[in-house]
Amino acid sequence: MTAIASPAAHPNPLARGLRMTAIAVAAVIAYLVVLWMALSLFGGRTIDAAFPEALQQTVNALSIGAIYALIALGYTMVYGIIELINFAHGDIFMLGAFLSVVFIGGITGNNEAVTNIPLLIILILGALILTMPIIGLLNAGIERAVYRPLRKAPRLAPLITAVGVSFILQNVALTIAGSGDRRAPQIFPLDWQISVGGAEISILSIFIFVLAMVLMLGLQAFVTRTRLGRAMRATAQDQEAAALMGVDANQTISLTFLIGGMLAAAAGLVWGLRFGYVRFDLGFNSGLKAFTAAVLGGIGNITGAVIGGFIIGFIENFAAALGYARWQEFLIFVILTLVLIFRPTGILGQHSGDRA
Amino acid sequence: MKLTKYSVIAASAAIVFGACGGGGSASLNKNIQIAVELPFQGSEKAASDPILNGIRLAVKQAGGKVGDFTVTVPNSAVFDDALNGVHDAQTGANNMTKIVGDPNYVAVVGPLNSSVAKAEIPVSNAAGLLQCSPANTNPDLTAGAAAAALRTKPNNYIRVVTTDAVQGPAGAAYIIKELGKKSVYIIDDTETFGKGVADSFEAEFKARGGTVVKRDAAPKTTQDYVSIMTAAKALNPESIYFGGVTATGGARILLAAAQVGLGDIPFVGPDGINDGSGETKDSFLNLAAAAAKNAYSTLAGPGTFEGKDKFDADYKAEYGIDSTGYAGQGFACTQVVLDALKRAIATNPKTDAELREAVRVAGTDSTYTYSLNVGSVTFDKNGDTSQLIVSIYSVDPAGANGKGDWKYETQIDAAVK
Repeated sequence: MTAIASPAAHPNPLARGLRMTAIAVAAVIAYLVVLWMALSLFGGRTIDAAFPEALQQTVNALSIGAIYALIALGYTMVYGIIELINFAHGDIFMLGAFLSVVFIGGITGNNEAVTNIPLLIILILGALILTMPIIGLLNAGIERAVYRPLRKAPRLAPLITAVGVSFILQNVALTIAGSGDRRAPQIFPLDWQISVGGAEISILSIFIFVLAMVLMLGLQAFVTRTRLGRAMRATAQDQEAAALMGVDANQTISLTFLIGGMLAAAAGLVWGLRFGYVRFDLGFNSGLKAFTAAVLGGIGNITGAVIGGFIIGFIENFAAALGYARWQEFLIFVILTLVLIFRPTGILGQHSGDRA
Repeated sequence: MKLTKYSVIAASAAIVFGACGGGGSASLNKNIQIAVELPFQGSEKAASDPILNGIRLAVKQAGGKVGDFTVTVPNSAVFDDALNGVHDAQTGANNMTKIVGDPNYVAVVGPLNSSVAKAEIPVSNAAGLLQCSPANTNPDLTAGAAAAALRTKPNNYIRVVTTDAVQGPAGAAYIIKELGKKSVYIIDDTETFGKGVADSFEAEFKARGGTVVKRDAAPKTTQDYVSIMTAAKALNPESIYFGGVTATGGARILLAAAQVGLGDIPFVGPDGINDGSGETKDSFLNLAAAAAKNAYSTLAGPGTFEGKDKFDADYKAEYGIDSTGYAGQGFACTQVVLDALKRAIATNPKTDAELREAVRVAGTDSTYTYSLNVGSVTFDKNGDTSQLIVSIYSVDPAGANGKGDWKYETQIDAAVK
C-alpha cells in the first residue's frame, strides 16, 4: 500500500517541476523580447520606449492568460474524466463573476477602491471562500441532475444537453441581472503600482497571476498527491477498471465538476476586479477562448490547459499591443488550426501522465 | 382522401384571402395608431425610454386627436428590436414586417440604431409607410448609392437628427477649439454607426491640423480592453475619441483607460454614450461611474432651442424625471407625423391604404416647413433635416444625486461656418 500511496506519476517531481518552471520563465522572457522588438520595428516606438511598454503588456498577457487558464482547467478535467465537452462551463464562470459582485458589492456598497490592506484581504478571501464552494457545488449539482443520467447514452446526448444547460444558465442570469453590463466593484486599488525597468506594473495584475498560480499548483498537488486525486486519474484512465479496484466513479466525477467549478468561480472574481463589469453572456466568449486553450494544450491534460490559457493570453495581447485588436480572434483560431494540423492532440497531447 | 385534402386547402385559402380583402381596403378606420420601433433591453433601454416618453407626450399634447381621427400609442404599438440585450437588425426587420401588415398604423417612429434602420427601410419603403427616426445618424441611410439601394419606391424615411457627417466633425472641432487638445487616440466598435462616426471624426480632426496618434478598432466581443489601452497610453494622446455606443463597449473602454492612467484626458464619444444619468440602469455614466469625470458626448440635434424650457417642464410634469438624450427628438418626430396626418386627412382619403400613402406624401414633402419643438425644420428629398446642429455635453459628477449626469455645454451649427 505504501508504494501506491506515494506520488508515483513521475520519478522525480521536484526536478520535473524545476524544468517546467524554467521553460515557462524562458517562454515569458521570449515573449517579452519578441514584443519589444515588434513594437520598435512595426509599432513606431523607439527601442528605449518600447521596453517598458512590452514589459507592461507581458504582465497584462499573464493576467488575462491566468483567467483563461483557470477556466480551461474545468473544460479539460471534465473532458479527461467523462469525455464530455461541457459547453456550460463558460456560464459557470459567468455565474461565479456575478456571485462575487453580489458578495463584494453587498458589503462595500460602492465602487471605490479599498485601501485598507487587511480589509481588502478579508473581502477578497471572503469572496473566494463563499463563491468557490457555491459555484463548485452548483457545477457538481448540474452533473448529478443532468449529465449523470445520460452517462451511458450516445455521446451526442450529453453534448447537446450541455449546450442546453449553457442557455439555461445564461437566461437565469439574464432574468435576474438584466441584459446590460453590471458594474463590478473594483475594490482592488488600480493605482497600486510598482516600478520595474521603467514600467509601471499594476499590483492587481501580479495578484491575479499569483492567485491563479497558487490555485493551479494546489490542483496539481491534489491530483498527484492525494488519494482522491489518484482516484480521479484512475477513473480518467479506465472507469470500469477503477470501479473494480474500489474507486467510486460517481463520487470522483462529482469531485471533478466541483473542482472545475471552484476554479471558474475564482476566475470570475478576478475578472470583475480587473475589468469592472460582468454581463449575462460573459461566459460565451470567455468560455470559447478557454475551451480553445484546452484544445490547444491537449484536451484532457491539466498542464496543457494551463499552457494553452497563457498562449491564448499572449496571442490576444500581441494583437492588441500592435493595434490589431479586431484580429485577435482570427489570430487565435489560425494558430489553433496550425497546431492541430501538426499536432492533432494539442501541444502536450491528451494521454500524458497527469491527465485527469 | 385526396379530394378532401384539396378541398381543405381550397377552403382555408378562401378564408385567408377573404380575411385579407375584408380587413384592409374597403373602409377608413378613424382609430389609428403610431407604431414605435426601438430597442428596449440592456443599455439601449436607457436611450429608448426617453424617446418613447417624448412620443407619448406629443400625442397627449395634441389631445390624442387629429381632426376626427383618434391617435394613440398603446403598448401593443411599441415594438422592441433588441435581442439578448442588444439591438438586432433582423429583429427590427421582422417588427417592421408586422407593422406594415397592420392597417391601424399610419406611421412608425424609430429605430434607434442605424444598422437596424438599414434592415427596416426596404420593408417600410416597399409598403409606403412614413418612417421617422429620432436618432439614426448614419449618412448612408439617406444619401448616395447605398441609400438608393435600400429603396424600391419613392422615399418614406425622414429623420430629425443630423448625420454623422456632421456629428463626428463637431466632436473634432470641440476637442481642438474648445478643449485645446491637438492629438487624439481613436477607437471604434467596428459597427456601421461606430466606424462611420469615427471616420468622419478622424477626417475633420486631421483637416483641422490635429494628430491622430492611432486608429484602433475593437469589436464588442473583445475581452481584454486593458491591453489595448496600455498600447494607447504609450502613444501619449491628449484625448480619446470612441466611435460606438455603451452596449458595444463605451464604458468598458473608459474603465480600462482609467486603469492604465488615461483617466485624466478628455474621453469624447457620440450620442451612443449619451444615454441617461448615473442613476439610469445600464447607462454609460452608471457603468463608468467616477471614471467618467472627463467624458464628453455629442448629440446630433440641438441641445437648446426655443421652447426647450417648456418641453422640459412638460416632460418633468408628465413623467417626474428630467428629459434626457433624444426625448425631444422623439417628440419632434411625432409632431411631424401628426402634422403630416392633418394634411393627409385634408386630401379626403377613402381607405386605410389611401390614408397611409397620403401621410407618406405629406410627411416627405420637401417644400413644407415644419414648426417643431426644436425649431423650424424642412426635410430634403432624401429625408435629411435642414438643422445641422450638434450639441456637446460634459459630465457633472454632482448631478443626479451625486451619481453623475450629462450637462449641456454648447452647440455647434454646421450651417453657419
